[in-house]
Amino acid sequence: MIDKFLMAYRSIRERRARSILTVLGIVVGIAAIVSLMSVGYGMEEAITGELTAMADLISVMPGKITGATYVELGGFTDRDVKDLQRIGGIKDISAMTYDAVEVEYRNKRAPIFVFGGDTKELEGFYVEPVGLKEGRWLRENDYKGCVIGDRVANDFFDEVIQVNDKLIINGEKFIVVGVFEKASTLYAADVDPHIFLTLRASKEVLQTDEVKYIMVRVYDIDEAEEIAEEIMEVINDNHGLDDFATAMTMGSMIELMGDIFNIIRGVLVGIAAIALIVASIGIMNTMLMSVMERTHEIGVMKAIGAKSRDVLSLFLLESSMVSLVGGVLGCGLGVIVAKGLSFVASMASGLEIEAIVKPEVILGGIAVAMIVGVLSGFYPARKASKMSPVEAVRYG
Amino acid sequence: MIRTENLTKVYRMGEVEVQALRDVNLEIQDGEFIAIIGPSGSGKSTLLNMIGCLDKPTSGAVLIDDINTGKLSENELAEIRREKIGFIFQQFNLIHTLNALENVALPIFFAGVRREKRLKRAEEQLVKVGLEDRIYHKPSEMSGGEQQRVAIARALSNDPEIVIGDEPTGNVDTEAGNAIMDILEGLNREGRTIIVVTHDADIAARAGRTKRMRDGKVLD
Repeated sequence: MIDKFLMAYRSIRERRARSILTVLGIVVGIAAIVSLMSVGYGMEEAITGELTAMADLISVMPGKITGATYVELGGFTDRDVKDLQRIGGIKDISAMTYDAVEVEYRNKRAPIFVFGGDTKELEGFYVEPVGLKEGRWLRENDYKGCVIGDRVANDFFDEVIQVNDKLIINGEKFIVVGVFEKASTLYAADVDPHIFLTLRASKEVLQTDEVKYIMVRVYDIDEAEEIAEEIMEVINDNHGLDDFATAMTMGSMIELMGDIFNIIRGVLVGIAAIALIVASIGIMNTMLMSVMERTHEIGVMKAIGAKSRDVLSLFLLESSMVSLVGGVLGCGLGVIVAKGLSFVASMASGLEIEAIVKPEVILGGIAVAMIVGVLSGFYPARKASKMSPVEAVRYG
Repeated sequence: MIRTENLTKVYRMGEVEVQALRDVNLEIQDGEFIAIIGPSGSGKSTLLNMIGCLDKPTSGAVLIDDINTGKLSENELAEIRREKIGFIFQQFNLIHTLNALENVALPIFFAGVRREKRLKRAEEQLVKVGLEDRIYHKPSEMSGGEQQRVAIARALSNDPEIVIGDEPTGNVDTEAGNAIMDILEGLNREGRTIIVVTHDADIAARAGRTKRMRDGKVLD
């Protein structure tokens, strides 16, 4: 057996340049599969991980989500909030409101979304994951303080806004007490373009008692779905409408994400599979050429007593060695590429994505390489083994 | 004993049928040294291929020790080629990626013998043909005569009863040719059946019996 390996190795080495190119084909195919899958898992983990940390949360919105669009149907009332407090299993409720109003800074005006809510809740929800670049977070009695997102500070006005600068929000003066860091992808839309106030201040500024968003925390995550149902019932009853409120648990959001990731992964694997098919055509081509070149040699081997099976196994061994080497190197390269890709993805998205290299992906990658090698080597090997010794010897 | 019965071989070259062998009846006794001579195209090589189990007859039969080789499977034929017959070609036909020792060991390898034993046996054969100082040389590093001696060592590696040479001296100079014939004579003295095809009268003269062929027939 060792000798068969040796013979296969010699004939691979004999055609060094071509063997290297063939191996390279497999390497690229396998590296593509391994790296894309690892990055895919990493992305999924990064996003669902963030969502899982908020698994006890139910978002309640006065509107409908159809497909990917949210249609706002109005606002919640104080009565809604009070009624929710009667539902069992709820740890706390925090009402929020928001609206676009005119904001003035050094005589420049811009329409900006102003967000108001329970400062503790907002802190857990936005300040902890995003972080503040300057200043401090709001306190419950900061009636005239505000904290601004990164784009509000840097993009919306001609001059950069800093802590202790004054803004005029809908005609009332506020002092900037803190500025957020630039948020990651997951939070960018929620934080960067917004101004945050206490709930009381925002109600005054926005001149409304309406609540646009309620965050509910539950004690038991397993009850979240039930409680969400109940919340919708209670609020819909209050407003006399069938589907006025939407209460979404993080669990259902994670599920939604899982579906999306399955699709993404399918597409990625599909792309990698194409690379692999091209590589396997490469192996087959190399092996066919090798068979043709060695017709004479095959004839000689058969003339001195090699069985068809001997010839078949030699050629199969050769193609599977090429693909095994390709598979192993491909996995190695795949891991490196995955790390690189996840680094780039982290930089681009602001999310901390770490490629997850699963052992089954590595083993699968090597196995796929071997299968590809054996399958694409089989036809040439069989062709070689079927040759008539006389004709093969005469060849060349 | 080797016997052919009405051995006929027809090749098809496109639309034309070529009768390479026509009703050849030939008996070769064990331990005989027979030379087959004749012009090219007379069917000598075809006859050797039939006897050497490299090719199957169109009709008629080749019997080796009363076994009709035409009735054997591909694997059984491979086994006969490996165990009973040693084939020497005009073009040597060594595997150029392997050195002398590995070339000689190849038939023993196909017989499934362990590596150590195999290499020892191969080395013995190389010593026997006087190539003990060429063991690790590649074919490209050896002269024609040396290559042919490696080929002979390879043919002998599984200790065959029959050694078949298709113009074994055809590609080497006279001196090397004589050396090769010396070896073949020695093998004959050991009791092996030697069958060579040649068109060199001097070489043929060293055989115990000569058969002449023409147009696919053996002349008496």
